[in-house]
Amino acid sequence: MISAGVDIGSTTTKAVIVGDEGPRAAVIVPTGNLPGKTAVEVFQAALSEASLKESDVDIVATTGYGRRLADFGDVVMTQIKACAAGALAADGPAEAIHTIIDVGGQDTKVIAIDDEGDIEDFSMNDKCAAGTGRFLEVLAQKLEMPYEDFVQEALKSETLLQMNATCAVFAESEVVGLLARNVAKCDIALAAHNAIASRIASMTRRVGSRGAYCFVGGGARNKALVQTLSEHLNKPIHVPDNAQTIVALGAAVGARAKAAKALERGVQ
Amino acid sequence: MTDAKQFDERYRLNPRRSDDPGARKRSRFVAEQQRLLQSDLTRRPSNIAFFEDLLTDPGRPDDKPLVGYFCNMIPIETIIALDARPIRLGCGNPALVQQGEEVLSGEICPLAKASFAAFLDADNPANRCDALILPSSCDAKRKLGEVLADYKPTFMFNLPPEQDAKRFGAVAAAEVERMASWLSKRLKRRLRRSALLEAISHTRRRTALIRRFQEARSAKPAALSVRDFFVIIQSAAAGGDIGAWLAEAEKALTEVEAYEPTRRRFRPRIVLTGAPMIWPNFKVLNLIEEARADVVADTLCTGAESCFDPVVYEEKGRKALMRALAERYVFASPCPCFISQGTRIARVLDLVQEYRADGVINYGLRLCQLFDMEAYRLSRILKENKIPFANIRTDYSLEDTEQLRVRLEAFLETVEKD
Repeated sequence: MISAGVDIGSTTTKAVIVGDEGPRAAVIVPTGNLPGKTAVEVFQAALSEASLKESDVDIVATTGYGRRLADFGDVVMTQIKACAAGALAADGPAEAIHTIIDVGGQDTKVIAIDDEGDIEDFSMNDKCAAGTGRFLEVLAQKLEMPYEDFVQEALKSETLLQMNATCAVFAESEVVGLLARNVAKCDIALAAHNAIASRIASMTRRVGSRGAYCFVGGGARNKALVQTLSEHLNKPIHVPDNAQTIVALGAAVGARAKAAKALERGVQ
Repeated sequence: MTDAKQFDERYRLNPRRSDDPGARKRSRFVAEQQRLLQSDLTRRPSNIAFFEDLLTDPGRPDDKPLVGYFCNMIPIETIIALDARPIRLGCGNPALVQQGEEVLSGEICPLAKASFAAFLDADNPANRCDALILPSSCDAKRKLGEVLADYKPTFMFNLPPEQDAKRFGAVAAAEVERMASWLSKRLKRRLRRSALLEAISHTRRRTALIRRFQEARSAKPAALSVRDFFVIIQSAAAGGDIGAWLAEAEKALTEVEAYEPTRRRFRPRIVLTGAPMIWPNFKVLNLIEEARADVVADTLCTGAESCFDPVVYEEKGRKALMRALAERYVFASPCPCFISQGTRIARVLDLVQEYRADGVINYGLRLCQLFDMEAYRLSRILKENKIPFANIRTDYSLEDTEQLRVRLEAFLETVEKD
């Protein structure tokens, strides 16, 4: 069986194709301002990467903010459910995963998994961008640094400045104040990472943390964030290879389970 | 025994007014939008417009004095018995929140700010009130009374800190008496025991109707949307004619009870608890129903709970009646303003069992510390009882709609576990 998952996120749109032997293609493109159109394009791109035609695909699931915009899918699921399915299907650590942290462009989610692999509880950040990937992007821009450099600078610093993480706009003016005091950019970059890491850590503890931690989403590609978060949680964090496409993978895996169940019912 | 004792006359201020046609226009638009959204519901009582019109503007059906009140803890029977019309003033209009900040701080809850903003506009129905009564149910209300006292004769109804009727029963009954005599002096009318008994029988009829609605909805949720149910309930406190409301509600109920579903309903059944949702701010109700879930019961002071308990008296003496009113409005209240949250938790657990609910949604209003603090214990107790629970915290604005939608849909996915 061939299944596809398309995750239309706030910043990027991802498509993953899964065959019986495992993932066959994964594509990431910026969402832009026409999410419905982007979803079609990324799905087609994934098909051609896997050398498949649309008719070869048995079932398609859509997830993410644009999940209802893409009308070519068979199944719609929330990014919470897809994220859990994806993290459990990806390469994992030795210890069973019970806590998944997903830092995306506009949301941060923490999902607790029970012993059966079902979602036990989950939490999402409040409505604003603080505590999400967007927070760090905004501050990198304020420092006039490409995002990659911003992360590298943070890894260099050994100074622990205090910074608020409750509001990205306030943090911006906080950065203006720090620059006016001639504080080194690398110290500001680390302060921003620590601010968001401590916020994500308390969110993680609220949901109840046990077992291995799995960190996914665009935020998981940020090494400085992985390091500061691991320090705040006082535990190593597992980052799967395909951290950014985990949710799309989960949608594809979830869709397979659904199709299998439906076929079973059809046979009976 | 007059308002002069509650608020220091020496520091009275001239009331501030503000003429903002933009805000007025937007607040009307917001209400129309919600009405439009609900007009798409598949099944509605044929006379739903009667209730919606009441919420939009109750008008002034006669020359009876209007007494504005806040919260669900003011014994309105005393107002009715004085031949006045009670009108509940808690405001749910998002367009008025910002206007409230012309006077109040931005850190005050949207309910208090919007409710206050109504008084800034001289044409708002709130300004037709002849007197106001506020309970000391939270810090914002406690101080709002003093602000509003510049606008209208205002009485602060003091609540005991604990729902211990043994210790505070007599004090609470005396406070009801003090409020009644303040109002009677203010309106220059005598409070007759017979009129009070008649008012109680009115509100008991309302309770009986709401309970029948509740039973019918629980048996067949498709018969009436929770949003229309809330419109019916909230319009009862909009200052219109009580007799007319009872007659129309009876008509709507007949239709709801007569409805026979064509097939079984598989939607998750939800018990809703938490902060008041006030029309037209039905954001979370819209989202819950759009996510295909049924609210089968609630503990909201603006929902079925607001009418659920009848006033029960054993003796008909004035003192006994005051005690009965205190019992109903103070000691049975699920409001988080009391020291213990036991009343609300017990009520939620009862409702889940009685109405066979699949999960509980707690609605927290941003900047309301009381409900926010209570979410902690509620979530752990429900977890211990293996009842799925979602905590939604938001305000009147729409910017987090999609985030809330994801949360609610994901919650329903875990409830269903397909």
